[in-house]
Amino acid sequence: MNSPDEERWSDVRARLAAVDAAIEHGFSPSPEEEQELLRARARALAAQPEESVAPGELIAITEFVLAGEHYGFLLEHVRSVSVLTELTPVPCVPPFIVGIVNLRGQIRTVIDLRRFFELPAKGITDANMIILLENAGMQLAILADAVRGVHTIASAEMRPSRSAPVGRRADYVRGVTAAGVIVLDAARLLADKRIIVEEQVEV
Amino acid sequence: MNWTVGKKISAGFGLALAILVLIGAAAFRNTNALRASNDAVSRAHHAQARLQLLLSLLMDVESGSRGYVITGDEGYLAPYEAAGKELPRVLADVRSMASRSTEAEAETAQLAAMIEERRGFAEALVDLRRASGFEAARAEVETNKGRELTAKIRQLVAQLEERERGVLQAARNEAHATARRTKIWIIGGTFAAAVLLSFAAMLIARDIARPLDEFSRVAERIAGGDFSVTLTTDRRRTDEVGVLTRSFEKMRQRLHLMSGAAKQIAAGNLTIKVQPQSTEDAIGTAFAAMAESLRSVIEEMVSAVNVLASSASEILGSTAQLAASASETATALTETTATVEEVKQTSRLSSQKAKYVSDEAQRAVAVAQSGRRSVNETIEGMNSIRQGTSAVAESILSLSAQSQAIGEIIATVDDLAAQSKLLAVNAAIEAAKAGEEGRGFSVVAQEVRSLAAQSRAATTQVRGILSEIQKATTSAVLAAEQGGKAVELGVQQSTAAGESIAALAESIAHAAQAATQIAATSQQQFVGMDQVALAMVSVKTASTQTVASTRQAEAAAQEIHALGQKLKAIVERFKV
Repeated sequence: MNSPDEERWSDVRARLAAVDAAIEHGFSPSPEEEQELLRARARALAAQPEESVAPGELIAITEFVLAGEHYGFLLEHVRSVSVLTELTPVPCVPPFIVGIVNLRGQIRTVIDLRRFFELPAKGITDANMIILLENAGMQLAILADAVRGVHTIASAEMRPSRSAPVGRRADYVRGVTAAGVIVLDAARLLADKRIIVEEQVEV
Repeated sequence: MNWTVGKKISAGFGLALAILVLIGAAAFRNTNALRASNDAVSRAHHAQARLQLLLSLLMDVESGSRGYVITGDEGYLAPYEAAGKELPRVLADVRSMASRSTEAEAETAQLAAMIEERRGFAEALVDLRRASGFEAARAEVETNKGRELTAKIRQLVAQLEERERGVLQAARNEAHATARRTKIWIIGGTFAAAVLLSFAAMLIARDIARPLDEFSRVAERIAGGDFSVTLTTDRRRTDEVGVLTRSFEKMRQRLHLMSGAAKQIAAGNLTIKVQPQSTEDAIGTAFAAMAESLRSVIEEMVSAVNVLASSASEILGSTAQLAASASETATALTETTATVEEVKQTSRLSSQKAKYVSDEAQRAVAVAQSGRRSVNETIEGMNSIRQGTSAVAESILSLSAQSQAIGEIIATVDDLAAQSKLLAVNAAIEAAKAGEEGRGFSVVAQEVRSLAAQSRAATTQVRGILSEIQKATTSAVLAAEQGGKAVELGVQQSTAAGESIAALAESIAHAAQAATQIAATSQQQFVGMDQVALAMVSVKTASTQTVASTRQAEAAAQEIHALGQKLKAIVERFKV
């Protein structure tokens, strides 16, 4: 055995001893680490939020991801978010209506915004989340790839969309935030006549 | 005197011949006279002898008959009969030999008649004696007729002898005179001939010998190569000398011309034309042919000399190159000699090395044996490693299974966190709906959401760690598997190595033998290189000699070159 191998084996033995020690202590952090963690959290909480400096009205938006693009709805129009389970397809409906779901005992229509906006079918979509929108007694579920959470931004931060209008989407865009989130108008979407299905099928 | 030389010589010889004939004629005549005298003398002598014989025979007849008469004996008749037979023949001789004179012939005739008479008497006497006897015969004899007749005969014979003696004397005198005359003729003729012929010879000599003498002198000078001489002889002479003079002069001129031509040729002018006088003009033809052949020879020589000059130049160049090459060779040889010395040292060294290698190979065989044992031990060690590695792989697999259990727990935690977050969002919504009263709740909801987010982050982190563990496990298992395979391979390789080492040991044994042989060979090589070094010294000497020879050859080539140039200059002197 030459010396590099010997060193390597001794190193291996030392690391094994360290792992043994860590397992014996049950992965609990040491008191110093715990103190440091807590201190860091306190500092984070003690820091003044930067957006508070922005004057004017604050708005909360629920951000989600659909086909690689970030969208947002005003929090006041969002009723809840949940994981999509047991989607039931409905016959004789337009293509953007993907089906109906049971949310806490209530049957709600699920639509696919991509098809509704007549966006080109590109990008990968997971579509395992449902955002339930509500406005003026009207409730509608839309598919989302992922829900990013709730953010509070200044309304002054909103900018009109600079991108070229694609499909019907332009009719529902309220603006684009500094972070590039396209904020959609849920009230208009819910009030839209095109959502209403008046299709009859001869049996 | 326009006589030809032939005529002159003929005249001279004719004169001598005439004198000779004259003398000869005189001598002939005198000789004839002498012979006639001599004949006369001899005939006279003969005649005298015959006369005496005649007398003797007559005596025989007389005495014979007398004896018979006296005795009557027939024996006395033998000489009588013999003489009687002999007498006519002798008488004829006398008549033929007697002098040719009428007197002599008359006397002879008388003599013959008397002799016949005397014989007749004797015959008659004999017949009488035989018939009548002695007395009758004596009576006859006493008549003296016989004696008288005999006396007469004796007288006549004496007369005839006297006449013949006179004839003899006259003939002798005649012979003496003739001899004296002949002597006079011969002496005088010879003297006269000497004088005359001397004169003629002097004349002929003056006329022919002098020009011939000149010719000989001139010919001598011409033979000596001087063609400028001239003849003083009169060329208008019409005789052979004149002709010869003119021909000689012509010949001289011709030779002079030829010598001039030869001089021109000697001076290098080959353009001259020599016209042969005739087809028989050997020298002219030869000269023309010589000039022609010389011309062609010179032309060929010119080309040959040109070739020679260029060849000499080339030889010079080649020799110079050769000399340079030889020098280079000498240098190379010096280097080679040094190299051979080095090789010698190297071979000695390699001999030592080969010895060393042989020893080393013996040691290597022992090492290979121990190496084989080591390989066997290695194979055993490898097998234990393989077992150890299998154990490690199993442990790691169980670790992997436990990690999977941790992953399930983490999934549960993650689900809980997601639901907590959802709850927090809904709580925030509810708090917002509650207005001012719900603000505190909103903070709590925010906090709950933050915790849920932290929980998710932690679970994500744990998932990442688990993933890392999984990867590490996979790679560890793979490594263990590979280790196992490597060990398997190692075992195989070790086995192969063992076999290789065995083969190596055998090879090394062979190598040891080979190294021993190499050591011996190297020793031989060392000795051989020593010989090569000696040979190289010889070669070096030879090379040095070659260099010297090449230098000489170069000098010779330069001389040839100069010679070629000189020849060229010489040949260019000829006008062709």
